[in-house]
Amino acid sequence: MSGMRNRNAKALNGNAKRCFKLMIVDDSNLMRRRIERSQQFEGLQLVGTAGNGLDALELFKRTDPDVVTMDITMPRMDGIECIGQLVALKPAVRILVISALADKATAVEAMERGANGFLEKPFTDRQLNEAIAELMR
Amino acid sequence: MTLAGTERRRRQLITAGLGTALTLVMGTVLIMGFRLATHVRANIGSLQTASTLQTYPEEISQQLNSLRDRLEVRAYSGQALADLQGTVKRFDQMLNELGVSAESDSPQLHRALQLWHQYAPVLDPVLSFNAQPYVDSDTTGSSLSREGRQYYAEVKRAQLFASDSAGPLQAQLAALAATLQRTCSDAAARLRILLLAGVLAALALAGAAGYFRLTRSSHERAAREAQEQTRDILKTVHEGFFLLDADYRIGSVWSEALTRMFGRRDFAGLSFEELLKDLVAPATLATATKYIKLLWGDRAHENLMRSINPLGQLEIVMDNGHGGKETRYLEFDFHRVMGPEGIKHVLCAVGDITSSVLLARELQESQENANAQVDMMLGMLHVEPLQLMAFLDSAETSLNLVNGILREPARSDTEFRKKLGGLFRELHGIKGEASALNLKSVASRVHALEDMVADCKKKPELSGNDFLPLVLKLDDLLAHLRSVREMGARLTTLKETAPAAAAAVAAAAPHGSAALRQSRPVEDLSRALQAMAERLAEEHAKRFRLTVAGLTEVPPSYAATVKDCLIQMLRNAAVHGIEPPEVRRAHTKQDVGVVSVHFRKVSEGYELVFEDDGAGIAVEALKAAALRQRLISEDQAHGMDTRAAMALIFRPGFSTQEDVSMDAGRGVGMDVVARSVYALGGRIGVSTHPGRFTRFKILLPAARAVSSAVA
Repeated sequence: MSGMRNRNAKALNGNAKRCFKLMIVDDSNLMRRRIERSQQFEGLQLVGTAGNGLDALELFKRTDPDVVTMDITMPRMDGIECIGQLVALKPAVRILVISALADKATAVEAMERGANGFLEKPFTDRQLNEAIAELMR
Repeated sequence: MTLAGTERRRRQLITAGLGTALTLVMGTVLIMGFRLATHVRANIGSLQTASTLQTYPEEISQQLNSLRDRLEVRAYSGQALADLQGTVKRFDQMLNELGVSAESDSPQLHRALQLWHQYAPVLDPVLSFNAQPYVDSDTTGSSLSREGRQYYAEVKRAQLFASDSAGPLQAQLAALAATLQRTCSDAAARLRILLLAGVLAALALAGAAGYFRLTRSSHERAAREAQEQTRDILKTVHEGFFLLDADYRIGSVWSEALTRMFGRRDFAGLSFEELLKDLVAPATLATATKYIKLLWGDRAHENLMRSINPLGQLEIVMDNGHGGKETRYLEFDFHRVMGPEGIKHVLCAVGDITSSVLLARELQESQENANAQVDMMLGMLHVEPLQLMAFLDSAETSLNLVNGILREPARSDTEFRKKLGGLFRELHGIKGEASALNLKSVASRVHALEDMVADCKKKPELSGNDFLPLVLKLDDLLAHLRSVREMGARLTTLKETAPAAAAAVAAAAPHGSAALRQSRPVEDLSRALQAMAERLAEEHAKRFRLTVAGLTEVPPSYAATVKDCLIQMLRNAAVHGIEPPEVRRAHTKQDVGVVSVHFRKVSEGYELVFEDDGAGIAVEALKAAALRQRLISEDQAHGMDTRAAMALIFRPGFSTQEDVSMDAGRGVGMDVVARSVYALGGRIGVSTHPGRFTRFKILLPAARAVSSAVA
């Protein structure tokens, strides 16, 4: 795993100019770590993680990320609401919804609010990286 | 399609250009031909005139001759002069006309005119003569007068000149005619060439027109064929196809299958929302509408859009055409149709997947059934075969009784309700035994049947029709019991034939396979009770220990009754009696409760004591429950002593439990116990201390020869 981190670090150094800031929002500690560990997208630098929509909003204002992975079911403020607020703050932000909610209505709602991608839990590393790559295109 | 269109346009342009060019050529040719023909006609006139004129010099000469001869013989010369005058006048006129006409610049004509002008000085005196040429005298007869002589001299001179000049003049006129003829034939040749060109141009034009018509008709045919093929495809295909425009409205072309799916034909111009409005729930409709809007945006790519398609399996409820409703499942698939300026249309393909959805459900159900059967089989592995068979026998007897109750004719509501009560008790008994043996599949089926009976009870009025579903469910239960019996038989065979399996079973069962064959039902019963106690404790989150003593003493004729009573009482103890551990702790009791069963021979017969150290029975709670269930009136409740109140628990339909679970709450149980004890001529008594214990004491008379079963 440390090897992977080094590789990411190298990639980041190499593409210092094209570095995008990533924020991970999920109420599960485990899931936050999982996403952080699994994403191997070159030029993506983690600026912070949040466990609910309100914290995410706060962190977003401070760190101004370009890419956000967003859970839906969270305490205090859910992902759908949060997406709307993030897009209002920064229309160019790219949001990948990562949710265990399999119902398509949630996905459609999220996309309508401004999300750019949807990934269903559970997911493989490959699926995550493909979804992020698709998001960055 | 676009390429073919460009090609067609190019061809049309070429054809139109060619047609115009050919028409211009033809027009020019026609105008030129017309002018040439006019010229030729004029030349032919001149030629005729020139040919005619050739004879005139000679004629003038001859007429002068004739005039001279007449003058010589003193004949009448007036007519000859008149002829000459006419001829000269015609010649002069025609020659001048020729000069005016087309060939005036001809040198021959010029010379002919010069020659003719030389005639004038000699001819004019002759032509202008108007005196008497003769004088008559008797002596000499007719002789020339003085004017006559002059006239004669003039005529002679003119005649000489004319006979000399006729040749050259005639030659000039002949040359002129020859020139004119040449000109004419040249013009005729040119006209022929022009006509030929005109004909060729006309032919080419006709050819071009023909070609254009031919290609157009072949294109039209191809277009018509393509249209027909499209129509055939749309008519035959099983999927519903249509295009949505930017206003989310359906286009004018759609496949016939849509009619079957949606039961309408007015699709053209219909909005997508209107199409689904009456078929799906408002929330689904809202999601679908949002999704369609997203499709028209460019934010999400096609794969993502497909993965979040909320209409992948849409349940719709439609009129089935016979006044009823029908549930169908439709699968919507969307594809963006791209044009040069982005999304042009969204193609929507709809499939009716009702049969595959139902098939998938059936598969799932049969999978669940198979799983349940495996569960049942695993459960049965822990049940002694003989005990299982005994259960099946008694369950079947009870169910036949249920069947009998169901078929009993009943008319009044009271009779129906009595039937329901009877059904309830029998079913409850079977459920208790099935639970005790851990035959979950049987117990859950009986429970479902009980639910149906309970629903019937709640109805304000009952009729025979209300019992029909029960009969069907009962058939299902009987079939299930048959399959359990069959499986039990197979398991027994397996145990007996497969030594390894037998060894495994022997290891699992503490008494070994030898014990199996030497049937000891009561031993089995104590084990079944232990198993049931464990299950009940787990399911109701209670902790208690079951101690059993003396069951080996139970005479075979009482075995069934004792078993039924114990099962029912154990269930009551686990659900109502033993408190949850935290409650026990709060009452400074041991966490683990104790339920004890003691059977022994006494002087008047047998005694079965069943005791638990649970909450006991609160008389007021009993009264309140009985009041709630309208088993007694308030007055009765007031006047009721403890003994009478305790007797309530043996009343049919009585229960203190408000929720219904698999193990309690139906109000069937203790009345069954009491009835079966009474049926054997026994007695049942209960004593309790709230918060401390509940004890049931059953006294059975000395064993009778006849075996009795639960009736």
